[in-house]
Amino acid sequence: MRTLKKSIVFFLFFLSIKQILAGETIDSVKTVKIDVQVGLQFDLVRFHVKPGEKVKLIFSNSDDMSHNLLITKPESRLEIVNEALQLGEKGPSMDYIPKSASVLWSIPVVNPNQTQTLNFIAPQQPGVYPYVCTLPGHGFIMFGAMYVNPDGKIPELKNDLNIPESRRLDNNPALSIQHNEHKVNEANKTTTVKPLHPYKLVSPYLYRVFIEGASPAAIAVSLPGNLSYCWDASACKLRFAWSGGFLDNSELWKGKGDVLAKVVGALFFRDKTEFPLSIGNHDGIQVVDYKGYSLINRYPEFHYTLNGIDVYELIMPNNDGTGLIRKFRIPDGTKTVWFNTNATDGVSYISSVGKWKNGKLKLISKQALDFSITMSRKEGGLL
Amino acid sequence: MIAKSIIRFLIGILFFTGMQSLIAQDKKESYRIETIPMPEGLTSETGAVEFFPDGRLVACFTRGEVMTYEPSTKKWKLFAEGLHDPLGILVVSNSELLIIQRPELTRVKDTDGDGTADLYEKVTDDFGISGNYHEFNYGPVKDNNDNLFIALNSSSGAGNIRPIVRGEINPLGREQGSKGQMFSNVPYRGWVMKLSHDGVLKPFASGFRSPNGIGFDLDGNLFATDNQGDWIGTSALHHVQEGKFYGHPGSLVWQNGWNKGNPFLLPLLVLDSMRTRGAVLFPHGIMANSPTQPLCDRTQGKFGPFSGQLLVGEMNKERIVRVMLEKVGGELQGACLPFFEGNGLRKGNNRLVFAPDGSLWIGQNSHGWLGDQGIQRIAFTGKQPADIYSMNLTEKGFDLTFTQPLDVSTATDIVNYKFRHYYYQYHSKYGSDQMDVQNVPVTQVEISNDRKKISLTLSSLKAGYVYELNLGTIKTSNGDDLANKIICYTLNKLKTGTF
Repeated sequence: MRTLKKSIVFFLFFLSIKQILAGETIDSVKTVKIDVQVGLQFDLVRFHVKPGEKVKLIFSNSDDMSHNLLITKPESRLEIVNEALQLGEKGPSMDYIPKSASVLWSIPVVNPNQTQTLNFIAPQQPGVYPYVCTLPGHGFIMFGAMYVNPDGKIPELKNDLNIPESRRLDNNPALSIQHNEHKVNEANKTTTVKPLHPYKLVSPYLYRVFIEGASPAAIAVSLPGNLSYCWDASACKLRFAWSGGFLDNSELWKGKGDVLAKVVGALFFRDKTEFPLSIGNHDGIQVVDYKGYSLINRYPEFHYTLNGIDVYELIMPNNDGTGLIRKFRIPDGTKTVWFNTNATDGVSYISSVGKWKNGKLKLISKQALDFSITMSRKEGGLL
Repeated sequence: MIAKSIIRFLIGILFFTGMQSLIAQDKKESYRIETIPMPEGLTSETGAVEFFPDGRLVACFTRGEVMTYEPSTKKWKLFAEGLHDPLGILVVSNSELLIIQRPELTRVKDTDGDGTADLYEKVTDDFGISGNYHEFNYGPVKDNNDNLFIALNSSSGAGNIRPIVRGEINPLGREQGSKGQMFSNVPYRGWVMKLSHDGVLKPFASGFRSPNGIGFDLDGNLFATDNQGDWIGTSALHHVQEGKFYGHPGSLVWQNGWNKGNPFLLPLLVLDSMRTRGAVLFPHGIMANSPTQPLCDRTQGKFGPFSGQLLVGEMNKERIVRVMLEKVGGELQGACLPFFEGNGLRKGNNRLVFAPDGSLWIGQNSHGWLGDQGIQRIAFTGKQPADIYSMNLTEKGFDLTFTQPLDVSTATDIVNYKFRHYYYQYHSKYGSDQMDVQNVPVTQVEISNDRKKISLTLSSLKAGYVYELNLGTIKTSNGDDLANKIICYTLNKLKTGTF
């Protein structure tokens, strides 16, 4: 009994000593996770460790090409990148890691969707230690900085010359893009961002683009009056419409395109019909085939066939700017046409011709040659 | 008196400068590169470059612009806009183009003659798109019978498919378990497609991972490059023939009558026996890491002595590769070498086209990978390059034909020819090491009477290997150095079975 007590006391004593030691000599391990993002970039471009700190660096590669990761002595990145290039044909078998005293630690080539871990003890000498991928050419843009110092000092991101230039803007003003030379108000400072195109964008204009809520064959159109809509060239219909802006393509255009364009503004219409038009016997299967579009005063007029019958649709802002006018042409002229709506799609309808019944507009064949539907935003009807 | 001496002095200067320019003329390069000024505000990631019959350049860019450039006035003009990642142009007339973009092949036409396109008509969209970021489309190129060919990139395992796709989904086109490999969940990703006069798009050849480049040679053979990665040990140039499979498994699920389940699960030997190997392999890290468009030199000498051969762009290096092919055992195979390297050429050499004057125009791109932006032009100066013209397999080794007569003593010195061979493994892994790397001694060197051809005898020759030749200091009879010292021959078939 006594011995047990003694050993417990001793054990507790031992524990507390260990804790004290830990507090003084840094026994914990600092875990740093680095992945790869589009455009040959590490997702983490800098981190801080204390001199002598134990570091566990987990390098995962979610990119679609291989990368390695070398930590070099301060100011040795370019030297190492060039030495790696000189490896030439020997590069692959050496994991593009040159034999050099300037390479402190390295993670060999990590293939897509693989992860490797590196454990090391941070240098005692404070400084900025570059980390870099040395696959041919990557090292000129794909790098970051490990800051080793006791007090955690790191320069402001925008002034950090140890990281790639493209990463010095954490809040890139180019991201909130709407129109050409769009001005961004940020803390009362107006900055002009790089133009999107070599010409001034004048609505109407469009982009074929990846956008949420439509097939990958979507067409986004900017109309005068800050109205926009998305017409789906796979489904052959107007999918949704919004007001207050157009698109933010900045992420889409930055790298490989593994993102969607962002809608800028508020949605006021979303199609909820199976298909907005029915021709002839409208209970049968509807087969659509996209044909293309013509620009009429820069407004696209879409052309498709519905069960083999040609349909044209041109969309403009309505007269009071509260919605859209959809101008249809169905030159066939031999069949009855229905225009279908859904009460929860966010808009109210007026047609140029035809008869409404239960949210469906019936057009006799002659009326269907040329008709328009005005869709106006319902009060409080933002989706 | 003073006037006379001044005149003499001036004459002296004129003579001196005249001599200098003569000397400069003598030392000039065979090819000269220049950079084309791009319009302000354009992010000039170039998806394609072509020429109109009237001599204007037409180029399309990642953000969807299609622009024309008049070389004589250096003026850019907008022709069309709003396209989705256009990566290929076929010129129909001065006012009409066929352009491949992500969703479709589109006819882009100026119908009212105002200089900008107003008709964007679908030519075909009869293939699937899942929204995966890697579903780039390439082409179109036209054969002698006016059939069109396009190539569809496989989808990337680093990405996924969107909730709404176009086309039927077949889950068997993707490996099970991990998500690393490229895949084909919607129709014909990883295929080269043929569009005939009837407007029907038909699958033509399968097994492509990332065929960012498609083109014909003078004999009407169709070629496509593919990029090193999973199932592709090293990048390759494929001779694309109907019904053949070129190695990447996902696309096989769209083969007519496919009943073998998930192709990724087939035994490696089965897949290997189905596949057609690259006509020319580009050894990774040595020749090209990301080859692009193969362009046949149709300039009939305006671009130098390599008429009929293929030039291939390279994304990762400041390089254009040259490819020479020959038929051995009924199949095309051949060699590649760096044709133009550095000297101001940028990376990202994505698209190539010859101008009417025979100069080579290069559109550069990066698209989130390694590369660059802009357009450059390489012109032949008229000075014959000192280079390997062709490399041909013989029964006992290789014949090298040069563009100029060689200096006999250096050209017949056996130490100046160092061969090694290696092969690349076919497997699901990303890329392949060089396997069975061995030096292959040259046992005999012979020179032809015109001193342009060297016949090399090797101690052994093996099918299925790349033969990499490194040349020592060989001079031409004029004392010039050779333009480059490395050439890689892909030996798929032996000339005869003598070894």
